[in-house]
Amino acid sequence: MSTSHSTNAGAPARILVDPTSEREPASKPRLPRLATLAGKTVGLLDISKARGDIFLGRLEARLREVGAEVKRYTKPTFTKPAPVDLRHEIAVECDAVVEALAD
Amino acid sequence: MSEIERPPLPNGIVAFVKRDCPTCEVVAPVLRDLAKRVALTVYTQDDVAFPEGLEPVDDRALEMSWHWGIDAVPTLIRVEAGEERERALGWNREEWQQLTGVEALGDGLPDWRPGCGSLSLAPDRVDELRARFGGGVLRSRRIELADLEDEYEAMFERGWSDGLPLVPPTEQRVLAMLGGTKRAPDEIVAIVPPDLVPCTVEKVAVNAVMAGCKPEYLPVVLAAVTAVCTDEFNMHGLLATTMPTGPVLVVNGPIRRAIGMNSGMNVMGQGNRANSSIGRALQLVVRNVGGGRPGEVDRATHGNPGKLGFCFAEDEEGSPWQPLSVDLGAEPGRSTVTLFPGEGPRNIMDQISRDPESLARSFAACLRTLHHPKLLIAFDCLLAVGPEHARVFEQAGWSKAQLIGRLHELLQVPGSEFVRGAGGIAEGMPEQLKDVALPKFKPGGLLVVHCGSGAGLFSMMIGGWVAGDLGSKPVIQEIES
Amino acid sequence: MHDTADLERRGIPAMYVATVEFVDGADAQARALGFEHSPVYVEHPIQDRTDDEMTAIADAAFEAVVAQLVS
Repeated sequence: MSTSHSTNAGAPARILVDPTSEREPASKPRLPRLATLAGKTVGLLDISKARGDIFLGRLEARLREVGAEVKRYTKPTFTKPAPVDLRHEIAVECDAVVEALAD
Repeated sequence: MSEIERPPLPNGIVAFVKRDCPTCEVVAPVLRDLAKRVALTVYTQDDVAFPEGLEPVDDRALEMSWHWGIDAVPTLIRVEAGEERERALGWNREEWQQLTGVEALGDGLPDWRPGCGSLSLAPDRVDELRARFGGGVLRSRRIELADLEDEYEAMFERGWSDGLPLVPPTEQRVLAMLGGTKRAPDEIVAIVPPDLVPCTVEKVAVNAVMAGCKPEYLPVVLAAVTAVCTDEFNMHGLLATTMPTGPVLVVNGPIRRAIGMNSGMNVMGQGNRANSSIGRALQLVVRNVGGGRPGEVDRATHGNPGKLGFCFAEDEEGSPWQPLSVDLGAEPGRSTVTLFPGEGPRNIMDQISRDPESLARSFAACLRTLHHPKLLIAFDCLLAVGPEHARVFEQAGWSKAQLIGRLHELLQVPGSEFVRGAGGIAEGMPEQLKDVALPKFKPGGLLVVHCGSGAGLFSMMIGGWVAGDLGSKPVIQEIES
Repeated sequence: MHDTADLERRGIPAMYVATVEFVDGADAQARALGFEHSPVYVEHPIQDRTDDEMTAIADAAFEAVVAQLVS
């Protein structure tokens, strides 16, 4: 290892002091889920790791069986968050999203 | 990790080790060798008997490891004159030889071997260590960021931002900010609406860091928070209104110079750190501590750019008149901040008038249109007279009171002009007032301040939100350091 | 996970599927993001699975996935 401080597993997390009233938990709750899948559009976002497409293909078939519409999307690379325009497209076209498959 | 009060390391070569680390075991003979040739101090994290034969210093409480940011063991540090010069993590023959200046180390060992995690980073120890050693003065919850997380994005994601980037409020920065006041960090400054949260000096400091303030600005921010949270100022009402108004801060007194505020060219614009960050810090406190955010309690139809922060200093030195603070009852020479519930500033342009009466009439004609020419009495106004305009009044010997008095006279409006339906305009005052003359501003509703550059025949008017008991009254607060 | 956090912020309920290797890291990451995440974990490894095996894994996970989409 080098003589500089390197960020590795076990490196100290960076700490920020909370500026809020702390009345809310530090974690934001997730959105309410859908009431049903029938008639809803579910987006399947493939993160482009091996075998994820097969996995999502099967989820697509099963989702269609329960009446959902399915749209497929693919990230250019799993190493970064999805590009903004892709996220926007998904947000506009879908009622809910499944992202897979991280290994 | 706060470096503010950390215990010093001894000079020479310092090593941090733990027994429960294969690399530390492997380098124990190297350390024994070094001990014969240089001044060596070894801190042990888990076993005072390790390494054998070296009389290690007991750091099982991990105080030294914590304060000196030991990420891995073994760590080797060269200390000269009480300062760290160089450090090496893990075993690496070349690095260790270079650092210690000793040749032929670790004969028979591989060239390098990675270290193990320091106990001071163990997940089950970290919280306790932080509470014990780090930023002990601060009581706020700590937010931990993931390794790869960008701290600027993280703050946006958590909803702390007003739309612009924030300075990350590390413990170190917050502690430094608290150095700007003598007040205790846990002192309650105010109960902040709309959530009615008791806000400590510490919480103000955190938001002041994020806003980009320097510690010497903190007393102004503290005074402003106190002022806006008074019943008279009615911050909740001001926040919740659909009108485009927000807190406007006017600073008077010696503090202006002391912290480098701008009262001259572009006084209401961008470019001055104190002006820009102090107003912003107040806004962030209301947002983050009080819970007052656009789209939630803040219902402004359009808002105005000043809601990001609108703070400026009066030009007292160039003014022909007494400062705004003295108008409002403060003792001359005191540092104060006056809070006015105002909209964005509007220009009053008069490049021709050379006599005070003509200029006063220009002012009145413009002031008449505040919010709407047919709406009277209900709104106050902060009139910022520019130096070139002020000189017109000065040369004619008009005091501020005289100017204000004349403006009130000129702004008497007959009912026939201002009632609903008059002029073919449905808006206006109730019809039963049609035979009465009313002033545009209630007595005391027109405040005058002096600022701006010496070139430019302009003044500025800042319209107020609803005045009086139902709305907001301007509040002046002394600034204590 | 950043993508699902972002989509939630855009108003779209989102969930993700990862292998069990991810459990600890995912919790830590979610906490750091200040985000209540909705994971479903499947067995590891994935890379060398046949198509049939992947299909079976998807079938086995389907109920859990639906549970993270519907309340």
